[in-house]
Amino acid sequence: MSTSSNNDILLAISTPPFWHCGRTIRKNSLHTLIALTPAVIMSLLQWGMPAARVMALAVLAAMATEAVCQTLMKQKLSQDNGTAAITGLLLAFLLPASAPWWLVVIGAACAMGIGRMAFGGYGANQVNATLVGWAMIFVSFPFLMDPTASQLQTTLADPLLKLKYFGAEAVADISVIDLLLGNQLGGLGSSQVGALLLGGIYLVLRGVVRWEIALSFLGGTFLAATCLHFVDGSLYAGPFFHMGTGSTVLAAFFLATEDSCSPHRRLPMLLYGLTGGILVVLIRAFGSYTDGAPFAVMLINLLAPMFALIRSHPFGTGPRKAGSADWRTRA
Amino acid sequence: MKQYFHIINDPRFRLVYNEHRHFGMGPAPRKIRLNREGFTIVPGVKKKTMVYPGMLLAEHPSLDKGDLHAPIYGTITEINARSIFVEAVDPEKVEPGTFPAPLEPVDLIREGKEGEDLVLAVKKMGVNTRSLGRRVKTLIVNGLNPEPGVRWAEPMLAEHAAEIRAGLELQRRFRRAEEIMLAVPAGCDVRLAGIRTVQVDPMYPNSVNELMIREVTGEENPPDVAAVGLHNVWSLGRVALTGLPLMETVITIGTARDWANYIVKNGSIVGELLEFAEISLKSGDTILRGGPLRGESLDRLDRSITKGAYGFFVVNAGEVPPIEGDSPCINCGACIQICPTRIDPRMLSRYAEFGRYDMSRKENFRLCVDCGLCGYVCIARRPVLQYIRLAVKKLDEEERLSRLTPIEPVARA
Repeated sequence: MSTSSNNDILLAISTPPFWHCGRTIRKNSLHTLIALTPAVIMSLLQWGMPAARVMALAVLAAMATEAVCQTLMKQKLSQDNGTAAITGLLLAFLLPASAPWWLVVIGAACAMGIGRMAFGGYGANQVNATLVGWAMIFVSFPFLMDPTASQLQTTLADPLLKLKYFGAEAVADISVIDLLLGNQLGGLGSSQVGALLLGGIYLVLRGVVRWEIALSFLGGTFLAATCLHFVDGSLYAGPFFHMGTGSTVLAAFFLATEDSCSPHRRLPMLLYGLTGGILVVLIRAFGSYTDGAPFAVMLINLLAPMFALIRSHPFGTGPRKAGSADWRTRA
Repeated sequence: MKQYFHIINDPRFRLVYNEHRHFGMGPAPRKIRLNREGFTIVPGVKKKTMVYPGMLLAEHPSLDKGDLHAPIYGTITEINARSIFVEAVDPEKVEPGTFPAPLEPVDLIREGKEGEDLVLAVKKMGVNTRSLGRRVKTLIVNGLNPEPGVRWAEPMLAEHAAEIRAGLELQRRFRRAEEIMLAVPAGCDVRLAGIRTVQVDPMYPNSVNELMIREVTGEENPPDVAAVGLHNVWSLGRVALTGLPLMETVITIGTARDWANYIVKNGSIVGELLEFAEISLKSGDTILRGGPLRGESLDRLDRSITKGAYGFFVVNAGEVPPIEGDSPCINCGACIQICPTRIDPRMLSRYAEFGRYDMSRKENFRLCVDCGLCGYVCIARRPVLQYIRLAVKKLDEEERLSRLTPIEPVARA
């Protein structure tokens, strides 16, 4: 074998680094889908075919919208990286299983079209795309989005609704185990709290989502709920109730952690999550909506650039006053 | 537990490999290709000149850069703007008298030169003296493998310490530093007489000079401290021990499965090295000179190992996810989290991508230590390090031009 004289080998030219951690967008999406699988299974067990219908429709509509937008924008089609499917699936998780087909399609189209593609594509949006779609249909069709009003063939109740209208004592007997097992009325996937927690921990251990955000989001919820509960236990429910109901866990692990909408350094991430968690409880306790988690995430998404301004001084430069003449201290 | 949360979970980034084989001798080259950019060819050296090991071929006008010597017996087949090509000749098969008697060794240690005289003598022996340190208070010899995958540091400190000792002796006589220290990987028990050793956590990127200095001194970019690479000290020691000009370099030749350290002649053709190490290539593979994180990929098998190169690696097709055209940044923030100098590679890469090099200034692009981790963790497979290097080059150029005074048009009488 003589390699030096063999000139028909075509070598690949590339730029450093030549080694790579092996993570790609596609692999991260795959891990996220794996993490969402327990919740999908649990919601199928709970709601059956209607849930499957909503999830499939949302995923397909999201991918189709992305494809149409990318064609119009003359971008390369990228449905194979799975990010559109995740956006669609997460949207389905927030909808009741009884949602009509056109609602799902409008929601998914808004999420992808206005939430993501209007900003340029995956990773360019400032606010979580899923939540943009959700907010548009939630505000436009509140009756159809409310599982208590539209999901008639069930004996389950929405614990947050109970809390809002009957006070903390009415929900005091709801056990955490029931909440974890998904025995509550809510979004078809977001109410599968235990399954989502399992998937979320998997993602954290995989390093796909940042533990700082998930942990501080749940920590913020815990903290705020505990404070309010101590102030007036008959009016405000305990911390585990708030963490186990609505879409708190879904928001902590899957919505607030979207990379492009959150800060990237440690302290800003902790503050970002903490603010989100506190907002969840504040919106639930003092706002007009029963579940504050999606709105809390949208608010902290908008605050993320502010949090990102908190950064340590660059390598080898001391902490100096802002606005000093030295170019090295400008953030 | 920390590893679970850490982005890098790659055992290769621990720069201690328990490698203790002696360096092998590289192949006897059939051809040599020496880089001559910036050098002035000495009179009498032209096509068809017969050369012998240690023969001076070209000088560098700068005091910092070592001169160029022929590493083998041979004939110059071509000299172009970039390279000198030498074809090997068996000295026993030519007429006696074609080549002069072998060079008389110069014992730099015995000679007792010091200071600038010694620097000049070492330059004439082909060693790059710039890499041997500026005039500072403390000089730290970086005894870590420079990059993941490069594995010569441990055998160099243990099995080939004679060269290091000689190199450090000369280094001391340069009188460029008041104190010389040796940074070694933690757990590596190295003692060299008369020199203080400091143990450093051997996780990449701690082997990058700036970060190694921080590990040793506890300060970031402290004044009056500089670092020199172990590889350079070894080259210096090699010259001191052999008494001959620098004609070889130590490299790790590595693939994903196997590796070994060799002493190879400067200018060895990479195709010959591959053949020697019995590595076969397929189309789509990448070969690179230098290390896997900061090196450069070569386009052809007749490229050569340049003076001072410390590694030669093969990355097979499919080993890493392919780069697929222009991939936009998706703001995942992995590079921001991994960057050891706390700058923002995400924005820097975008500024360079869209030609807004001036914007790089407000993101402290000059603090980049070139470790390559940003590209290593990029899930969109963007050439982040290359973008930053591009910005540095463009802005250097711009600053150089801005220092020139414009020429006034000559007024016509």
